[in-house]
Amino acid sequence: MSDPSRDEERELVEHAQRDPRQFGALYDRHFQQIYRFVYSRVREQAAAEDVTSEVFMKALKAMPRYQDTGRPFAAWLYQIAVNAIADRYRAQRPAQPLDDFHDLSVAGPALEDLAAHRDEIRRVWALVENLPPQQRIALVLKFQEDMKIEDIAVAMGKSAGAVKLLIHRGVSKLREDAGELRPVE
Amino acid sequence: MSWRHDPELDDVLQDDELRRLATLLSAAERAEPPVDDAFRSGLRRQLMSQAWSMSEGRDSWWRRAFAPPGLAWLGAAAGVVLIASVVTYMTLQPTGGLTRVVVSSSMDGTTGVALQQPILVSFNQQMDHTSTQAAVQITPATSVTFSWESNTLAVQPSNGNLAPNTQYQVTIGPGARTAAGQQLATPATITFVTQPPPAPTPTPPPAPTPTAGPGLGEKELAPLGGTSTAAVQWSADSTSVYFVNANGALDLVSAKGGAVTVIAPDGVTSPVISPAGDRLAFIRGGKIEVLTFAAASTAELAPAATPTLLGWAKDKLVWAAAGGIYSQGDKVALLLAPLPSTGTVNVLSFSPDGDHVAYQQDQALMVLDLGTGKSATIGQAGAGFLGWSPDGAHMMYSAGGSITVSDLLGNATSTLPSGEPSWSTQDAILLGSDTELSQVRPDGSGATRLANGTYHAPQWAPNGSSFAFVRGGQLWTATAPPMPPQPTALDQAAAVVNSFMQARLKGQAADATSFLDAGGQQAYTTGGLSLTINGDPFFSRYYILTQELTGAEPDTARFVVRLVLTHGKIDVSEFEETLTLARDPTTNKLLVDQATAGPRRDLGNGAEVVGVVVTPDTIQVTFDSDLDPGTIAGGIVVLDAKGKQIDTSQTYSNKTVTISGLALKPGAHYRIVVLTTVRDVLGHNVAAEYDLDLVGPVAVNQGDGKTSGPPTTGSPSPSPSPTPASTPAG
Repeated sequence: MSDPSRDEERELVEHAQRDPRQFGALYDRHFQQIYRFVYSRVREQAAAEDVTSEVFMKALKAMPRYQDTGRPFAAWLYQIAVNAIADRYRAQRPAQPLDDFHDLSVAGPALEDLAAHRDEIRRVWALVENLPPQQRIALVLKFQEDMKIEDIAVAMGKSAGAVKLLIHRGVSKLREDAGELRPVE
Repeated sequence: MSWRHDPELDDVLQDDELRRLATLLSAAERAEPPVDDAFRSGLRRQLMSQAWSMSEGRDSWWRRAFAPPGLAWLGAAAGVVLIASVVTYMTLQPTGGLTRVVVSSSMDGTTGVALQQPILVSFNQQMDHTSTQAAVQITPATSVTFSWESNTLAVQPSNGNLAPNTQYQVTIGPGARTAAGQQLATPATITFVTQPPPAPTPTPPPAPTPTAGPGLGEKELAPLGGTSTAAVQWSADSTSVYFVNANGALDLVSAKGGAVTVIAPDGVTSPVISPAGDRLAFIRGGKIEVLTFAAASTAELAPAATPTLLGWAKDKLVWAAAGGIYSQGDKVALLLAPLPSTGTVNVLSFSPDGDHVAYQQDQALMVLDLGTGKSATIGQAGAGFLGWSPDGAHMMYSAGGSITVSDLLGNATSTLPSGEPSWSTQDAILLGSDTELSQVRPDGSGATRLANGTYHAPQWAPNGSSFAFVRGGQLWTATAPPMPPQPTALDQAAAVVNSFMQARLKGQAADATSFLDAGGQQAYTTGGLSLTINGDPFFSRYYILTQELTGAEPDTARFVVRLVLTHGKIDVSEFEETLTLARDPTTNKLLVDQATAGPRRDLGNGAEVVGVVVTPDTIQVTFDSDLDPGTIAGGIVVLDAKGKQIDTSQTYSNKTVTISGLALKPGAHYRIVVLTTVRDVLGHNVAAEYDLDLVGPVAVNQGDGKTSGPPTTGSPSPSPSPTPASTPAG
């Protein structure tokens, strides 16, 4: 059975391919998601705005060449974003701590565990930032953006197997680096 | 603790601790970042503005269908669809319901029509074939044959092709009758403009389709032990790779793969192979070790100041140490040149010929000439050194989001896309990145994506074909395809002329000015020429009538461009501009250096010349009309610079007169004269004598053993912008 929201998206994409002026609907649909992802990587409003502009402008210009491979349109936007961020920040590392992006108000644990749990999450995410770039991006797309592995593969221009390997290596590296992190029981 | 099970990760993270970490990663909720609503709506406005300009610049479907000559068959398909539509319409009409004859054509109003295309004219009802065919008038004069498919008339030029760069007006006169005897109420005229003639020069091979990597013959050679970059040196014969792994071990591995040989177990930096390929030097333990391959022996140098970086100046070892650059003397190290004593100085790289050193002084990138001891600042503050050309005459540095190529005095010569570059002995620059590998020429042209995937720190082998790179903590090798042939100077000049004319066609005088040098600017200011052409009839299109390479070193080219003026839908007059382009010695760009304009001529009075191809021994003159062959001999003559007629032989076929038996001297002046005695097949004489001045072309090798000046490749107007071939990513 077809997914109505995918069908709707496919229709929007087809419209935008026929008439670039229809691209606005795709922009409205994906702006927040892409901006949030970009911001999480560059940590600076001005830079996030620059990169987001670049992503959507490139996407608009490349719409005639976009091919629906069965994956969400957003995966393609993420691919453009990943490349744009890599181009811009290839030599730089995020300067600000993660706390200002990841809201660590975790739902679930008992109140007495909350502080320790938050701290643990903060530390794990801080370790993510020290991973090699490919592993870092794979983990961010999986755990922060909550994307499917097949979609991450599109966004990173890799096979699903390669993405799984990146995730495995990334999380394994986190385990090595986080020897002192203990589960909060 | 909440556990959000993600089945996708079941086979990825099979260990409880890994899954727990995954849960922690998923548990952080994403805070919404600050969004400036003004930015959001501003970007939308910007996108919509871009989208409007894209949709305005878009070719209509018929043009896209008919423009590429290879897709001319699509025209026939369109005709069939049209026919089917008309048949359906007719079938559904009640008897006697068609009181008015409607004439239409999908070609009406189009430009860039393929030359092999029949002219399709459709009627809304069945027509009487004889009277309708007799009522067809075509301008310019063209011999045609007719065929019918239901209610669609296909008008086919007898010689097979339409004339290039020509506006056709096809009129169905009131003599046309329906099968029921009803006459057309008013004449119906269809107009369209044909595309330029095809270029007979070989089409460059298509850009290779980006592959996932195996197409490049990739091989995993050796683990690097966690480093994402490796000091890689290729052996002189491109068969082996020396590299330093994360533990500082200097290893050797065959480029075909296989076992890794350890040359030195640890502490190695700055390995560098001598230009002759017979020695390998590296720094270890504060000393320089030089391995001589033939003797399999290692010599040790222990300079007083600890060396930090090595290079070779021909067969002499050079190195950087505190205070300066040194070379090996007979007994003691010789100071070749001191380094600045102020600021933080970090020596980055020796040029391949050992004559220069790149270093960083605080935020400035500098190049020290070891011959003169003088340093030049390269780029702006913050520029990052990226590599040398193999001859050591140019360097690459990062500037903003791109790469600048400059000489060693800091004069920029080109800009390349961002990436991790390596410049080959074949003058191809590889650009590696996290997500793709591409290749570009040093002048920034010919950018081609070779593969998707991770290609860090690419490093060409001396053979200019193999390269090493780093992926996933491993050293890899692969083979890159050669760059496609460089466009000829004439192709480059034609691209400049088209850009210049397109800017003028759009009324963008400032953009057009950017294609003029000082001489060209003078021609379009005080020289009486105008960049923008206003009024009615309006400037509707242009095409390149003829083009020649007239000089080399520096390149000069001469173009005759015809500017067509239109009133309503009909081309009514035209004039020519003769543009001389010269290559600017500093920027290396071809610019319009001289321009002159000819008189305005009215159209529609006899045959017009629409294309001239000049080679040293032949001139082909193409007309818009079918000519009366009996009027050609003596009607088209070639004069030398003194006005003396040159003996030639002439043949005529397919609207083109080929004048042969010539021996045009490069740079000498000639004139083609079309006399008024030349007539078209309808008996109209050429309205006024037409003169076209030419210069003997410089012979250029076409690659097929022939020498010639390539023929016209002008664009129809408006010409679509070339569509980038690669995906937007990157």
